This record gives sequence, structure tokens and C-alpha cells, in this order.
Amino acid sequence: MIRPLLHWVAIACGYGFFGLSFLIVFEILARKLFNFSLQGVDEIGGYVLAVGAASGFGYALFHRSHTRIDLVVSKLGLGGRTALNLLAYLTIAAFAVFMAWRAGATLRQSIEFGSLASTPLQTPLWIPQTLWFVGLLLFAIAAVALTARAVALALQDRSRFNAEFGTVAILEEVEEQMHDISRKREPPG
Amino acid sequence: MIDFTGAVIGFFVMLGLMFCGLHIATTMVAIGVIGAAIYLGPATILAFGTNLWAVMNDFLLTAIPLFVLLGEILLRSGITKRMYDGLADWLSDLPGGLLHTNIGACGLFAAVSGSSVATAATIGTVALPEFAQRRCNERLVLGTIAAGATLGILIPPSVNLIIYGALTNTSIGQLFVAGIVPGLLLLSLFMGIVVVACLLRPSFAGERETRAPLADRLRRLRYLLPPILIFVVVMGSIYFGWATPTEAAAIGVVMAAFLAAANRKLGFGMLHDAFASTIKTTALILLIIVAAFYLNFIVGILGVPQAMTKFVAEVGVDAITTIWLLVLFYLILGCFLETLSMMVGTIPVVFPIVLHLGIDPVWFGIFLVLMMEMALITPPVGMNLYVVQGVRGRGEVIDLFYGVTPFILMLFLLVCIAIVYPDMITWLPNLLYK
Repeated sequence: MIRPLLHWVAIACGYGFFGLSFLIVFEILARKLFNFSLQGVDEIGGYVLAVGAASGFGYALFHRSHTRIDLVVSKLGLGGRTALNLLAYLTIAAFAVFMAWRAGATLRQSIEFGSLASTPLQTPLWIPQTLWFVGLLLFAIAAVALTARAVALALQDRSRFNAEFGTVAILEEVEEQMHDISRKREPPG
Repeated sequence: MIDFTGAVIGFFVMLGLMFCGLHIATTMVAIGVIGAAIYLGPATILAFGTNLWAVMNDFLLTAIPLFVLLGEILLRSGITKRMYDGLADWLSDLPGGLLHTNIGACGLFAAVSGSSVATAATIGTVALPEFAQRRCNERLVLGTIAAGATLGILIPPSVNLIIYGALTNTSIGQLFVAGIVPGLLLLSLFMGIVVVACLLRPSFAGERETRAPLADRLRRLRYLLPPILIFVVVMGSIYFGWATPTEAAAIGVVMAAFLAAANRKLGFGMLHDAFASTIKTTALILLIIVAAFYLNFIVGILGVPQAMTKFVAEVGVDAITTIWLLVLFYLILGCFLETLSMMVGTIPVVFPIVLHLGIDPVWFGIFLVLMMEMALITPPVGMNLYVVQGVRGRGEVIDLFYGVTPFILMLFLLVCIAIVYPDMITWLPNLLYK
């Protein structure tokens, strides 16, 4: 259930970056040609990054995109590999929960003090920070759920566990991307 | 406060954890938290949230997803095949024929994309089928693509230079400009070694191509226009001060979107693929960056920069010796570590030394990128080797190990030139910015 959710959130964030590009170009043209500025496009750009990256963390985790060095892990026996793969998921889950916890604290502070961004827009910080926090919360939930599944699988079937939670061989990753790119698409309409 | 020994132990513990296969970002944050727990109070650990928000909401770093998106859209916009053909018309006359087109196409794609892996995958997909019918030396073919693609992070725009600039407070505009001359020089060195190889062993180059009529060749020149136009507008707007690097990236995205639309490739499916890929790449880069910024923050409070500079002052090594030692250090590290991790993981300890010795931060940024390029093609973990092998989809990766060897030597030669004549890198940015 969480997987499709993360996917659509990621696509939405993609639209965010895409839309932001057009907004920025509009702002540059307005500034250069008509001496008029929308104000605060850079500030919005920062918020788009905060929300887009935060919500992307979980998505990338599901796709095993977060970087790991597999030089040692891939040389170990089944027991050693299982132990290190489990450790990697337990620690990243702890990291994700820690991030969400501290982001939550930052958000709470912004609400308590009514903090405003020190910019022309004077955005109340809780607005972008809430979305950012939700993104990190999604990451934490995804990481914990994935790790729970990892532990359960490791207890049942260690070789399947390593296939699903091991480091992705670069070759597989490339093949997946190639497939993605070479897929033929008809222009709509 | 921490002493030199403590800092070095911390660094090696971090490396050790990385080799245990923990996620790179987890490792860096863990070391930061452990350092804070031993030497500082819980307040610095709890400050993580504020730190996280400050980094993630930085408009400068928004340049990263935008440049990634630019590359992802271009990749799917149907320009690469035509660009390749347009270049082949003119480069095939050199000894080595189509081999030069691989390198040239990598250089041109690098000028619109900030990533070496994306360049390797894109050019590999277009180029490898071209060689299926030709009797070129296959290892050399593979080598030109894997090595040529490393230009992706040197020729601007470069995602890695943005990260370096953000972490060290160095001007990204200057870093981008500084990448141009070494980028072109490296391109020439790569082509030069192919010429030499093909003159010594004519069989490497396969049969000579028949040349297309001049009119056709001129007509196909227009296929080179889109990437050149995007490059000129993106870099020009930064250089003339019309746009910040992030804004320039946005211009690039919009131009790429229009280009894709003109080629009838723009659609929801294509965009969604590009978005999904962009978010994945952005997330993986950003997670490492937030970890690196937090580690840098802790390392700063711990006094690691002072400890490092004090040590260097006591030992009394000069700048040039230090640089050669760093070459060795990064060569070894690059054989085992993934490149981005190598850069952000070493900056907290290495950069203070560099500053202390009076080495130009712009020069050092390019130097680091050169070392990363080398790491991208050195066995056993050079990422580009596996990407090209993945595109090739048959045979053994050992062919790539042989194929890139001459290019590794050329890269090393460029590093030597950069060290002996540092002006090669700093000349253009100094000319334009001062």
C-alpha cells in the first residue's frame, strides 16, 4: 500500500520541480524584460527541494537507490551477508526515525514561536515545514515497515532475504534504467 | 575539542562502516552523532532538525534536481541518436574513425548533463549498436564510451561541482567555468590516444568509413544545435549574471521540454518516467548531502579543521607534497569507494588542510572531480565500467578493464598537468571573474 503511495508522491514532486522551472523562467523574463519581479521564487524553490527530497527518500529506499558499498558484503557467505544487510536496514530505519523525530521538533518550535521566513514573503515556516515533516514521516514509516519485513524474511528464508534486501548489482540497475528509457511511447493526442 | 589522532580514528571508523555495507548517509550521520555524544553534549545531537531544514531548503541545492531533470528529459527527447550521427560526419576522418565520435558525443552530452553515469548510459545505448557491424577493436570501443562519459562531471554543468561548491562555500559559477579548459583538454587527450593507438595498430579502427556528401554533412550539422544551444544559454546566463546556477538549470529544463515537444516525444508517460528517475536520483544525492552537512557541522565544532591544520603545520609538508599525497590517497580510495561518497566523506578532513596550505578552492574542486573521474573508471568498482557493460549486455566486464587503461593514463597525465601548471584550471575563471 505504501509503495504506490510513495510512487505517486514522487511523481507529484516531479511536477513540482517541472512547474518550478517554468515559474523561474517566467520570473527571469519578467525581471529582465519588464523590470518586475514575482518576489520569492527562490524561497519557493527551496521549499520544493525540501518537500521533494524528503518525500523521495522513502521512494528511493524502496528502489534500493540509496548508496551502499557492496565490495565486502558481496564477498561474504550467507550468514555474514544476512547479518550486514540486516544491520544496514536496522540502522537506516533508526536514522529515518531520528530524522522524522528531529524534524517534528523543528516544526513544533516554528509553530510555538510563530516563526516567519526572513524573506519578502514572510511565509509562516510551519506551512512548508509541515509538508517537509510529512515527507520525512513517510520515509520513517516506509523504512520501519521495510525493515520489519526484512527481519521477518531473514528469519524464514535467508537467501530470498539477501536477494530482496542486498545491494543492487549495478548491472541490474542499469538494465532497469535502459528498459525505462528505450520503452516506446506514443505522443498523446 | 578533538586531536588529530581522534579525527583520523573517526575517519577510519566511518570508512569501516561504509565497507560493512551500511548506507553511506547512515554512516556519516552515525559518526557525527557518536562524535557529538563523546565530545559534546546532547544539544548538538538534537540540533539535527534545524540543520536538516537549513540544508534541505537551500535554493542553491535546488539546482541539483533541476539539472538531473534536464538530463532525464533530454535523454528521452530523441536528440542523442541524431547528435551522434551529426558528429560522426565530421570526426570519422580522423585515424580511429567512429571511435572519436563516441568521445565527442560524450563531451557534447556532458555539456548538457551533470552526471557521468547518465552520459555513459545514454551514449552507450546510441553508440554500441553502431559498432555491431564494424570490425573495430571492441575493447577500445568500450573504453572510449566509459572514459568519455567521465567528462559528464567535469564539463559544466556538473552536479558534483554544485555539491562541492555548497559544502565548501565556493562559487559554483567559477567552478563551472573552471571545468571548461580541463574538460576540452581531456577530450583532446582522449582523442589523441585513440589516434596514436590506431596509427600504431590500424586494425583497431576497422574499415574506413565512406564519407557522406558535403551537402548532407552540412545539413546534418543542425542536429548538433540543440545541445550546443542549451549549453550556451545555461552557461551564458550564469556567466553574464542573468541567472544563478539554479535559475540557469530551470532555463535548461524548459528548453529541453520544448525540444522534446518539437521532436514529438513529450508526453505524460515520458514525463512521469523522467520524474520518477529524477526523484530517485535527487533523494539519493540529498540524503548523502544532509548527512555530509551534519557531519561537517559536528566536525567544525569538534575542532577537526584546527587539529588537521596543526598537524600539517607540525609535520611541515608543503602544498605540492600534500597534493601528491592526496593523489595517492584518492587513487586508492577510488578503487573501493563510490565517487560521491568519496568526495563528501573526505571533504571535512581534507578541505581545511587545503585551505591552510593556501591552495585555491576552485582549483581543488576541479582536482577532486578529476580524481573522481579516475575513480569512475578504475577497476574493480568503477561505476562507468559497469554501466557500459550493462548497456552492452554480453561478454565479460574484463574487456572494459583493458579498454579503459589507456584513458586512465591520459586522465593521470591531465592530473599531473593540473598540478604542475595550476593556471590551466584557474586561468579562465580568473580572467572572467576578476
